[in-house]
Amino acid sequence: MMTSFDQIRKEAMAKGKKRLVVAPVTAGTDFSVLSAAMAEGLVFPVLIGEGKAVASWINREKIQAAHVEIIEEPDSAKALALAIDLMKKDGAEILVRGAMDPKRFLDAVLDKEKGLLKERVASLVSVFDPPGVDRVTMATDTYINSFPSIVEKVTITENVIRLARVLGFISPKIAALSAIEQVNPAIPSTLDAAILSKMAERGQFGDVTLEGPLDIDCAVSRRAATRKGVHSTVTGQGDIYLLPNVEAGILMAELSVFIGKTPMACALMGVSRPVVLNLPFVPAENRLTEIELAVLLCGRL
Amino acid sequence: MIRSFADMDKLASEKGPKRLVVLAPEDEEFMMAVRKSAEAGYTQPILIGDREKMERLAGQVQYDISGTEKIYEKSRQAIADLGISMLFSGEVDIAGKGQIPTAYIYRAIIREESKAGKGKVVSVISMWDIEGLDHLTCFTDTGVNIAPDFRAKAEILRNAVFLFHLLGYPRPKICVLSGKREINGDIPSYQDYLELKKAAATGDLDSCEVMGATSFLDIFRPGEKNFRLDGIDIGKADFPHIMLVPNLATGNILVKLDFALKNVRRRSLVMSSRGPVIIPSRSDFQDSILGEIAAGVTVAEQIKGGTAS
Repeated sequence: MMTSFDQIRKEAMAKGKKRLVVAPVTAGTDFSVLSAAMAEGLVFPVLIGEGKAVASWINREKIQAAHVEIIEEPDSAKALALAIDLMKKDGAEILVRGAMDPKRFLDAVLDKEKGLLKERVASLVSVFDPPGVDRVTMATDTYINSFPSIVEKVTITENVIRLARVLGFISPKIAALSAIEQVNPAIPSTLDAAILSKMAERGQFGDVTLEGPLDIDCAVSRRAATRKGVHSTVTGQGDIYLLPNVEAGILMAELSVFIGKTPMACALMGVSRPVVLNLPFVPAENRLTEIELAVLLCGRL
Repeated sequence: MIRSFADMDKLASEKGPKRLVVLAPEDEEFMMAVRKSAEAGYTQPILIGDREKMERLAGQVQYDISGTEKIYEKSRQAIADLGISMLFSGEVDIAGKGQIPTAYIYRAIIREESKAGKGKVVSVISMWDIEGLDHLTCFTDTGVNIAPDFRAKAEILRNAVFLFHLLGYPRPKICVLSGKREINGDIPSYQDYLELKKAAATGDLDSCEVMGATSFLDIFRPGEKNFRLDGIDIGKADFPHIMLVPNLATGNILVKLDFALKNVRRRSLVMSSRGPVIIPSRSDFQDSILGEIAAGVTVAEQIKGGTAS
């Protein structure tokens, strides 16, 4: 399993260059992460959008013309449609959101017919590199689905398990979080967590241990769990945290970043090819890690 | 102004002892915390619970309770009812939850509030002391209301605003937290934010201000495009005093992240109309419980003596 973002970087650098498409590219596009990814030999970029915007970057960074492909398409929607086409038909491997708001971008990328959606729903996984912990940890869904049904939670769980396997977790330990650790019919998320836990027990998610409902104190502290009488291999040892809704998801991720100063990078799952969303709550330091995660996901989705 | 838990501890030792009724101190961590609070001069405890269990546990933590007032009762609901009625009648200054399901305490508080004609919404306020932040902050409601509607949220905020007034913050800043983001449109918690902002502007929530932020991203990165982890400065952020959580699951998950984050400590209480009821989590250890008792003593003192200056 991946012990840290450093290890993710090393493994990604060993994979060979991937064809990465950025769309749409405009004058406002920030190329700094792309420059860093090229310097690490991770990617061969294909940039779709306003050619002029690319030209100034290429001149500034002294990038050789042979190391980048530019497709002129000033219309943002058309640039993105072209990028998705390249992903589906022409062997482009990673899609990165360029200068377009996340809503328009995701509407196109997750379109059931024309887009890259593969599973019932897509979901975002926040991957953390918490200081003092011997491995990376994951939380989901931290962005896409507002209040997922149990059917959608099953897919969200499968999506994160797929990422965990790519990151080398052979038998990930998963905590399905809720407000309390007891099953309480008045709190629907405790029921969902119990169902997921039972499904896991019956082997429906493959080789994983999934415990739920757990409250966060039981999930992150074995000592606290013992005090509450909760005994499980997951307590204090969780690799993956399933959040009951997006409010808990995104706010927990942001709290970990802003108060805990925990490094975090995100991966979109449930799609047929890696997509980097470049969301605003990801720290600048970790944007390259998102490309590296995408590199590791190539061919594994 | 009470700016930190250290301020509370200092005030508790200076202004104590306060009369604390302890509802079922029936495990070691809890009994130890009560012992320490008495020794620190924070409290003069009254213990209600199972005689055999209390005596055995007091022995185990070497706490001589021979001179301590005790009321023997086994029924959980009876313990809760008795302790909370003592708070409302003014016999004690603070009530503290021990080994009793929290729902029993809430039920007893709701009953007493309705008798007193207040009919307040009961809510839990979980304070955080964050390293590097020069004031206290809190999450609410982290314990009672599973999915509060706008009306309940307004009441929950009034309770927290009342607490922060007592702690010496004349116009606390409120952040109504929401999972609203760039996709999927407005969600109910964001609609509530818009309405609460209006309510606060008309003075309906007492003296307070609802901030424009609804997420930690908004709080820490207003307007900028990119932020760096190593550039985050909690002390320089316009950080709220009160954070209203959209629902119970979110509140519980956020507030207990103190188990994972090293720079945060937590103390929780219910602000009843007659005084504080401290609500330690069942997973809290003696030092946390002692801290919560100090918070209760502080609030009881402020109620008696007006707001902290």
